[in-house]
Amino acid sequence: MARSGKFWKTESTFAYLLLLPALIFLIVFMFYPIIYVFFMSFFKVNKLAELVSFSGLANYSYMFSKPEFWQIIIRSCVWTALAVAAKTIIGLIIALLLNVDFRGRKIARTLTIIPWASSVPISAMIWQWTYNNDFGLLNYTLQSLGIMSSPPIWLAYPRSAFFACLWVDIWCGIPFMALVFLAGLQAIPQELYEAAEVDGAGSLAKFRSVTLPLLSGVLTIATLLSILWTFNDFNVIYILTTGGPGTSTDILITYIYKYAFQYLRFGPAAAMAVITFAILLVVSIIYARSYFKRGEIL
Amino acid sequence: MKKKNFNYYLVYPAIIFILVVLLFPFLVMISTALKPLEEVYATPPHWIPQNFTLANFSDVWFKYPLGTYFKNSLIVAVGTTVLNTILCIPAAYAVARLRFRAKSFIMYLFLIVQMFSPVIVVISLFKIIARLGLLNNLLSLIFTNGVFTLAFAIWLLSGYFSSVPKEIEEAALIDGCSRMQSVVRVLLPVAMPGVITTVIYTFITAWNEFMFALTFITSMDKRPLTLGLYNFVGRWTVQWQYLMAAAILALIPVVVLFMFIERDLVKGLAGGAVKG
Repeated sequence: MARSGKFWKTESTFAYLLLLPALIFLIVFMFYPIIYVFFMSFFKVNKLAELVSFSGLANYSYMFSKPEFWQIIIRSCVWTALAVAAKTIIGLIIALLLNVDFRGRKIARTLTIIPWASSVPISAMIWQWTYNNDFGLLNYTLQSLGIMSSPPIWLAYPRSAFFACLWVDIWCGIPFMALVFLAGLQAIPQELYEAAEVDGAGSLAKFRSVTLPLLSGVLTIATLLSILWTFNDFNVIYILTTGGPGTSTDILITYIYKYAFQYLRFGPAAAMAVITFAILLVVSIIYARSYFKRGEIL
Repeated sequence: MKKKNFNYYLVYPAIIFILVVLLFPFLVMISTALKPLEEVYATPPHWIPQNFTLANFSDVWFKYPLGTYFKNSLIVAVGTTVLNTILCIPAAYAVARLRFRAKSFIMYLFLIVQMFSPVIVVISLFKIIARLGLLNNLLSLIFTNGVFTLAFAIWLLSGYFSSVPKEIEEAALIDGCSRMQSVVRVLLPVAMPGVITTVIYTFITAWNEFMFALTFITSMDKRPLTLGLYNFVGRWTVQWQYLMAAAILALIPVVVLFMFIERDLVKGLAGGAVKG
């Protein structure tokens, strides 16, 4: 701006100085590792994670030629799409309910938060026990309420294990969605609803013409965040099934980990990490853009 | 006053249904933690313990190394928080208060960086940690958790700093305070709720972390809670009542702390979209 050149210079030097410790830390433990993984993906790597020789695109072509890898890519997409859709819809329903002014609303809101407040790895362990076929209370309850007469042995078969993991991921993500939407709903001015009522709009019309359009900003940003988190969900799958039976419940993120630390095949794991990084980068840039469009922090 | 129509009374059954679904595993956890072994393995299972017991809580504490796990988690969470706060306050101050060319780039970078999965870098991080001689050392978890919470912590805190009017510090400067004094004596006390939110956020994230611990920690006496309990499932396969008792003890502190910051987290993550 219209500041004197010298002051501007010292002020910005001071700013960089203050940022330096944090940046050094980020460089050493995040940017350098990312670059190193990128580098690694073009090398033959031994079981001790040491680089042996340059191998060009061999790691990539190895992964791309594996049908299993493509299955996992598809599964990661299905996983993310289904979970995000479910979280968004259920979250929106809960937010609409919590937006009604009823007695006990505060308590209901607090209780809704608990799955988010809880530690994901520990929740996953609790769910593992809940899913237990012989002694777990889930199948017992489903049976005794007559919801399912013969519920599956959830974690034993590929399909049911996938949905069991998917549900735990959804369950973890619902509270955040509900709370963001609730905050969004409460920011909608009451006059708009009154105006719509004067125009003779019913509940559904009010929802369509007032609530949804005004919620679209929150909806976009929450959905993008949810996509990133769901795609990155390591804990739920690793703890519930370790991607098993076989690799039938693996998504990209758990598959990379298994490839590296169970199979000790660091080269292909690095190649997959680079691919995943590229996917995440694109989505997070979209997130950052919509964040800055709404926010006024800068 | 809102009119109480038919819809109003429909809210209760819906909310109760949702809460039962959301709290289902926690009900299972409590039920199991209060049962003696024979009841845990009764078929068919039942919800209400018939021979109610609290022995699992003392057993898990005295017969199993839960105390060690707690201590390790505490070391990691406190260490991460201290490290993070030291790095975060100056950086957030710079972003909130100073002008510099790369500011929007850096803010953009911080926002994107918090979305990266640790799994992407864990392969090379493993090598770095090994080279630093930090494998099976709690410092490895303090560093890695620190870096993965740093970007969002700076982001949260700088938002708080920006919301404090600049004039307060300028007045302090005019009164003869140094810049350092204006920050320590004026800005930080006013922005204290923000500092506390950032501290709690970092503490909880480090407390809950699992993947780095799984990768870097090899010996039992260094395991934090999440990893300790995970290995519990493998080693003492049959003792679910102990795991559930341990889970209750491990969850209480984080769930309580989380309730203090949940509104700030929602605001910080969704930005201007939920202003108000």
